[in-house]
Amino acid sequence: MIHIKDLRASIEGKEILKGLNLDIKPGEVHAIMGPNGAGKSTLGYVLSGRDGYEVEGGSVEFKGQDLLDMEVEDRAQAGLFLAFQYPVEIPGVSNMEFMKESVNAIRLARGEEALSATDFLKKAKAACQQVDLPLAFLKRGVNEGFSGGEKKRNEIMQMILLEPSLCILDESDSGLDVDALQVVANGVNSQRDGKRSFIVVTHYQRLLDYIEPDYVHILADGKIVKSGDASLAKEVEKTGYAWLGAKAEEADA
Amino acid sequence: MSQWLNQVIDRASSRMASGDDWLNPVRSNALHQLQTQAWPGRRTEAWRYTSLHPVEALAGRAANESVNVSIDSDSFAVPGLDSVDILFVNGELRTELAQLDVPAGVHISLLSAPGDAARTVVGQVFTQVKPERHLFGLVNDVMATEGLIVDVDAGVKVTRAIRVINLVTDGTESHNRVLVRVGDEAEVTVIEHGAGSAASMNTAFAEYQLGTKAKLEHYRFALHGGDAIHIGGSHFKMGESSNLNSTLVGYGSQLSRLDVDIEHAAEHAYAKFNNIYLLAENEHFDLHSTIEHAMPNGTTEENARGIVGDNAKAVFNGRIHIHRDAQKTLAELNNRNLLLSRRGQINTKPELEIYADDVQCAHGATVAEIDDEALYYMLTRGISRSKALVMLNFGFIQELVEQMPNEALRNWLQPQLRERFVNMEVK
Repeated sequence: MIHIKDLRASIEGKEILKGLNLDIKPGEVHAIMGPNGAGKSTLGYVLSGRDGYEVEGGSVEFKGQDLLDMEVEDRAQAGLFLAFQYPVEIPGVSNMEFMKESVNAIRLARGEEALSATDFLKKAKAACQQVDLPLAFLKRGVNEGFSGGEKKRNEIMQMILLEPSLCILDESDSGLDVDALQVVANGVNSQRDGKRSFIVVTHYQRLLDYIEPDYVHILADGKIVKSGDASLAKEVEKTGYAWLGAKAEEADA
Repeated sequence: MSQWLNQVIDRASSRMASGDDWLNPVRSNALHQLQTQAWPGRRTEAWRYTSLHPVEALAGRAANESVNVSIDSDSFAVPGLDSVDILFVNGELRTELAQLDVPAGVHISLLSAPGDAARTVVGQVFTQVKPERHLFGLVNDVMATEGLIVDVDAGVKVTRAIRVINLVTDGTESHNRVLVRVGDEAEVTVIEHGAGSAASMNTAFAEYQLGTKAKLEHYRFALHGGDAIHIGGSHFKMGESSNLNSTLVGYGSQLSRLDVDIEHAAEHAYAKFNNIYLLAENEHFDLHSTIEHAMPNGTTEENARGIVGDNAKAVFNGRIHIHRDAQKTLAELNNRNLLLSRRGQINTKPELEIYADDVQCAHGATVAEIDDEALYYMLTRGISRSKALVMLNFGFIQELVEQMPNEALRNWLQPQLRERFVNMEVK
């Protein structure tokens, strides 16, 4: 699915990713854990192509294509999805209009026909119900006035509608109570079909109780310093990140 | 004094000397004002950011006759709108008034041939609502030989909208006037629909008198462009407990200037005024609004949103004047602008002048660029950059479009505005 090789990236001249390697096959769920400032969110931004994140070296191959050479929207159309840690509010653009535009852009890119208004509405309603968002949220401005939990559920709703090949979940658990966490996790689990791959970025082990990863990686100071199976996450929960050394504890990125 | 204005004065004087226009007494007062007012230059505050060179350049040029100009009625058709349409082309009436299906209690007549009742309306409204300080309003006073008079009887609730369409064609000079009296407790919708991008000069002024508890839903569409020069105003005098809901949409052109005045002449009136302007290429648009709170317990909510792309230039001046006796006034004025290009220009000036001590007022103005984070978010959802920009732009003004009470007008306007955004490039 995706091969990340020796990826190095900086923002405003400061190197954040310092040679990151990661290989993900179709259907796999990889969790990336690590202390604040390790570069977890940066990975999602670099893979999605955010402005201001400078790739200094390395390569990323996504479904056989050179991902780093693609525009942001082309990456999304090719099947990459990033669930934001802090979803953006867009007043004046309704969630419905936003998602319809998005779903159809991606369908057209896949060579499928655009959905009719009725068909889209049917799908959107089902997705809303799946993440426990009232239908009225479709009519509201994108994330406008949503609570933290509602924003996160809205991200998962989008993921369900867009049917991506690779989902990057950037701290989709932060700020959620247990009920909301379960809704988010159920949404994610419903999309695990043996083909779709996931990168689950999280600070805490908690989310991984609900979304069971195939692999767990510890990211510290811009590199993956340890990889293992789900048991690694439990270990982290017991010992914290202190064993990584003082340097990685700097929470400045 | 400009040569163009001298010509206007000469033409008006000779017409008034020879003709038997029943309005001559009123017009001669305006003529006198014109003769004494100074031609505005860059140092005149009200015209500081709007150059009158395009008007000055008209001097000595003969205007085209508009006889037999053919008009494409699709250009102003609004699907689903239930309205009585009165069409003027270059200031000349093109609608057979006798053929109109006018709702009961509404009387439509012409400035050139009013009946006795209409003369009373004209006496109450013509030059009685519009302040004298508007130079081109005075030009219109003396030059608008034709105009529309709409009189709504007290207590009548009119469901069909009255729409006045003003079209202009190449090389013409024209002057339109609308006078509306809304009787006590009457309700009506009036639409001033102006369009035309050809090189032309048009002034269009409208005066509205609202009776006690009268309710007016008002729209002004100034959908001009190109080399058109469009200067006009909509002016309202609010009766006691009257209600105004007005929306103005402007596209700008070589020179577009609109003045809106709302006078709270009695207590407990409510005025809502929304304004949207969308400018591209080399267009210019200037809106000056003045709200006079002369009496206590009045409310005004004014929201203006503008988007300026390319080399376009917007001017917004919103003034709220609260007189000493206007206690318990609630007044809000907000102007937000989106600047899409480094070469675009926005001059905004909200003004609050308060002489009463027990009022609630707020005003503000902002100029912003496209939100990069919102744009990035949309791109990560596979939406193309150009499409995302259109959606973000439209989102910026959508709120005001949605507040338009008339659904047919909303449905007609939305795709047009979108289309306009598609053509606006962000740099």
